[in-house]
Amino acid sequence: MLPEQHDILFSFLAIVFAVFGIYVFGNVVQECREREGSNGKLWGGVFGAFAVTCFMMTVHMFSLVQADQLAFFFSTYIFVVILMLIVWGVFYKSIGIEGQSPPIIRGFFFWTTVSVLLAGYTNWLPQQRSDPPPKEAAVVGDVTMEEFAEMGRVIIFGAKQVAGQKSIGKGQCPLCHTFDPGDHMGRCPNLFGVEKRSNDRVKEDRYASSPMAIGELEPASGIVKGKPDEIPEEYRRQHGPEELTGEDYLRESLMCPTCYVVEGFGKDGDTKSPMPVITKPPISLSRVEVNAVVAYLQSKDTPGEFAAVTVPLPQDDAGNTGGAVAEESAEDEDRPVFVTGTEDIQAMINTLGCPLCHTIPGVEGAMGELGPKLHEKTNAPLRIKDPNYKGKATNTREYVRESILNPSAYVVFNEEAGELFPDGLMPTSFGQMVSVEALDKLVDFISQTEAPAGS
Amino acid sequence: MLGKNKRSITAFSLGLVLAMAIYLVPGMTSDAIAKEAFAEQVFAEEAFAKEVLAEEAVEGEGEPEVEWGQDVFYKDWEGNPLKGPVSGFPAPELGESDYNNYEFAPSRMLLWVANQQHLYFGSFVLAVPIFCMLIEFIGIRSREDDPVMAAKYDRLAQDLMKVSLTAYSWTAILGGILLFTFITLFPGFFKYMAGIFRPVMHVYALMFLAESGVLYVYYYGWDKMSKDPFLKWIHCSLSVLLNLIGTILMYLANSWATFMQAPGGIDSQGRFLGNIWHVIHSTLWNPVGVHRILGNIVFGGGIVGAYAAYHYLTAKTEEERAHYDWVCYVAMFICIFGLIPLPFAGYWLMKEVYAFRQQMGITLMGGIMAWLFIIQAVMIGLLFFAANSYLHNGMARVKGSHRYMKYCKYMILLLICTFTMWMTPHTIVMTPAELKVMGGAQHPIVGHFGVMSAKNTAVNLMITTTILCFLLYQRANKKITVPWATVGNCWIAAIFVGAALNIIFLGVYGYALPANQRVGLSVPQVTSTLTTLFAGTAINISMFKDSESYGDVQWGSQSKVGTYAIFLLAISFTWLMGLMGYIRSAVRLFWHVTEVVRDNSVDAYTLTIGEAGKMLTFNTLFVWTQFVVVFWVGSLTAKKAAAKAPEGVPVPAQQQQ
Repeated sequence: MLPEQHDILFSFLAIVFAVFGIYVFGNVVQECREREGSNGKLWGGVFGAFAVTCFMMTVHMFSLVQADQLAFFFSTYIFVVILMLIVWGVFYKSIGIEGQSPPIIRGFFFWTTVSVLLAGYTNWLPQQRSDPPPKEAAVVGDVTMEEFAEMGRVIIFGAKQVAGQKSIGKGQCPLCHTFDPGDHMGRCPNLFGVEKRSNDRVKEDRYASSPMAIGELEPASGIVKGKPDEIPEEYRRQHGPEELTGEDYLRESLMCPTCYVVEGFGKDGDTKSPMPVITKPPISLSRVEVNAVVAYLQSKDTPGEFAAVTVPLPQDDAGNTGGAVAEESAEDEDRPVFVTGTEDIQAMINTLGCPLCHTIPGVEGAMGELGPKLHEKTNAPLRIKDPNYKGKATNTREYVRESILNPSAYVVFNEEAGELFPDGLMPTSFGQMVSVEALDKLVDFISQTEAPAGS
Repeated sequence: MLGKNKRSITAFSLGLVLAMAIYLVPGMTSDAIAKEAFAEQVFAEEAFAKEVLAEEAVEGEGEPEVEWGQDVFYKDWEGNPLKGPVSGFPAPELGESDYNNYEFAPSRMLLWVANQQHLYFGSFVLAVPIFCMLIEFIGIRSREDDPVMAAKYDRLAQDLMKVSLTAYSWTAILGGILLFTFITLFPGFFKYMAGIFRPVMHVYALMFLAESGVLYVYYYGWDKMSKDPFLKWIHCSLSVLLNLIGTILMYLANSWATFMQAPGGIDSQGRFLGNIWHVIHSTLWNPVGVHRILGNIVFGGGIVGAYAAYHYLTAKTEEERAHYDWVCYVAMFICIFGLIPLPFAGYWLMKEVYAFRQQMGITLMGGIMAWLFIIQAVMIGLLFFAANSYLHNGMARVKGSHRYMKYCKYMILLLICTFTMWMTPHTIVMTPAELKVMGGAQHPIVGHFGVMSAKNTAVNLMITTTILCFLLYQRANKKITVPWATVGNCWIAAIFVGAALNIIFLGVYGYALPANQRVGLSVPQVTSTLTTLFAGTAINISMFKDSESYGDVQWGSQSKVGTYAIFLLAISFTWLMGLMGYIRSAVRLFWHVTEVVRDNSVDAYTLTIGEAGKMLTFNTLFVWTQFVVVFWVGSLTAKKAAAKAPEGVPVPAQQQQ
């Protein structure tokens, strides 16, 4: 349900309680008529008021949206119902009826309590909504290899990571594969060191013959094993040597999992892989996405080092039809980024691209999550005191300046992920991109940033 | 077991076993039969394909007249995708204009509510004729020996049918609402489904006519056909026919859902390949069918139990109280009888899901749906608590039960321990600070109970405890007199102690094995549990021969806690049924038809657990509100005179084996 819509369950409960209010009113009136000496007008008036109140509150519930409905229900409505029940009990006592309410009412409350408790239990558990993956990841402008590999990481693990929970992206790889050394709990091979293995594997005898020979067509995927030049054109490699490479092996493993099955991980005597063809539904990765995943797999074991990556960047890829790349003008591409200090702070920060990775209070749209949040007024003094801090700064301004010019001097711990933020992700070239005046302005501004009140 | 007459006990047990066999045997053997039948079919189809291709080759000119597509699921002899003539249009790429919305609620929720309500009622109206068939049969068989009990059975069956009749119309109305909701809110998708399932939908509608006809003759002809023994048999046979048609109806409707989850008979573009049987009989069709039949029996038992429990609470006379207490017992018996094989049908279904797409299975058990299975575990625990609580409380009204009542507290203690272990999650989402404090995603001690070894051990011990409780309930008012009583008791004790030790040993041993081998331990654990069920029950019943009775069951003296335990069972099962239905449907994620028709609506996301939980609670409360209305409407018809027992006959009869 969208936030601006009604909550179906609590709207329903409101209606039910309104009906219950009318029932109680009818019940009381009937009891008063049957028993002499009871003050029908008084009790009828009291319970009539309750019935009307419940009715009015139900009408009010329908003028509210989901979150407000819940707040109103638990802050007001439920107490009115409880009060009505108590007064109902008092009424029965007052006319000397020691018996209990009709079983239908007791049954109703039992039923409702158990069911609502079950709904409460499900709301107490961790909440994770899964949005459908985009049909194809869009690449805007030129990307660096770090960004391209990061795109591959997001396809595998998703953009959101929750501590203590396995993250799964569009590729759904972590459902079966593990990625850390020594973690062999996965249903499919551990992918630590896969870059090196991919280069070795294409030379192994087992690869040439098992479960099918090189040159044979794998019917489910339509891929001819070991023939990179026969891969469907929209995914075919357009560069590099003619012989089979590690990149080809990785691409083939994604597009034709059954072309080679790692021992002990296949079905029917390791002749069939349980893995889906990654370029077909339900995952359906595009050329750019497959290349991004390969780039990640080739670089993930050497953080900050991308020498082993052989796939081309989208902008350099001759086979990329350009559908996913939004081109920028040549003029923009050629002009180096530089801020003089005459711009306002918002423009400077945006030009330098800080918001891509950082959340910066006071800068509109700066909601990046790849790097730490810039709450330096409060954080910088703490970091200087951190025993792991090896930099030279002695105050906040110096710390901020050092972080801009030499980001590796201190790598911040990511509390949410339970690990350090990746070192080497932040460019070290800001010294060439800002004037002295601009740097001072930046340092002044960032030194004053702090978490918004109430967060 | 259910009444005084021993023949009725045999007949009832035989009936239940037969009913189980009818549903389970085809399921268990279907793989072999289906493979053989399928091989012949594939052979014929390939021969036809070659013939057509040869003809086209002879003609040799122009474009081939028949285009052949590769099936997304079915494979030929060599494991290659089966080919079929393209006979339909490709699946549409749905856009904004293919979805309609109301402002007050998302279309997906509305369709969910309409679907779930129809399914709940459908489940009930399919289950009741099964009960009626069995109960009427028992009534006929016991007519000569015990006319009073026979009349009681007959009255019970007719009462149930009366309620079912109102529910039947209600189900049809809800079906209409579901259809209109589907057509109006998802027109693009409905058009595709209608294109594929056109003939099935027409057959479905015609079967509905047949179902209605038989139902009306069966119900309205009840009194007339009761007088003549031959006509009574014909009447009872009508109930068999009614169930047969009902089952076919359900299987036809199932094919739509199973096709959406695991399609077959179409190519990757969604084009129909000319064989409607392939489309209907996709891989999940059989397991879903068996699972639903068993689920219907349990759900129907739960509803009848709750209906009787309510009437028990409102009963004005002792006779009425005794009657409804007895009905509660019969309903609970049927409910638990259906509940025991239900997990096995579930395993079969999951096996087929994994065989279809492994990642779909893993999404269920280890991905985004995994938490819902934890909730399922909690619900199953609740069911066990409710069932045990009913048995404990029920035992109290049996004379002679004081010998066993003292063990109840230990059984409850064991249930609490195993339930706690059963619901301990493997990993929980935490803040990084909490993660640090705990030293990892798993707690150093409690974390050990989160793995499968512990859970299998826990659930098997829970089932074993419930079986033990049931055996004690059975023998509560019996003084065993067979000469081999001590030996028999020793055997029962040995079976239970041995099973418990084996279950615990295998559970502990599992920690020392790698995951892929550990999975195999669940088979001997389940075997131990089933041994207690079958061997324990068999020995227990054999010992009742010539047993002396401590006295009659005091029907009508069921405690309130026991009565509310039945309510709890009914709520839990209703909620659980909705939950599992949601899981089955939601595992398609953002697909209308897995991998073929993508859900491009704004509602294509997978709900959070909390949102889903609220919807399930709403559906549960809403359907029970309707059940109350339906029962009330059913009670408005002229009440029949209660079957009066001749003087001197205890009503109802003594609890038997």
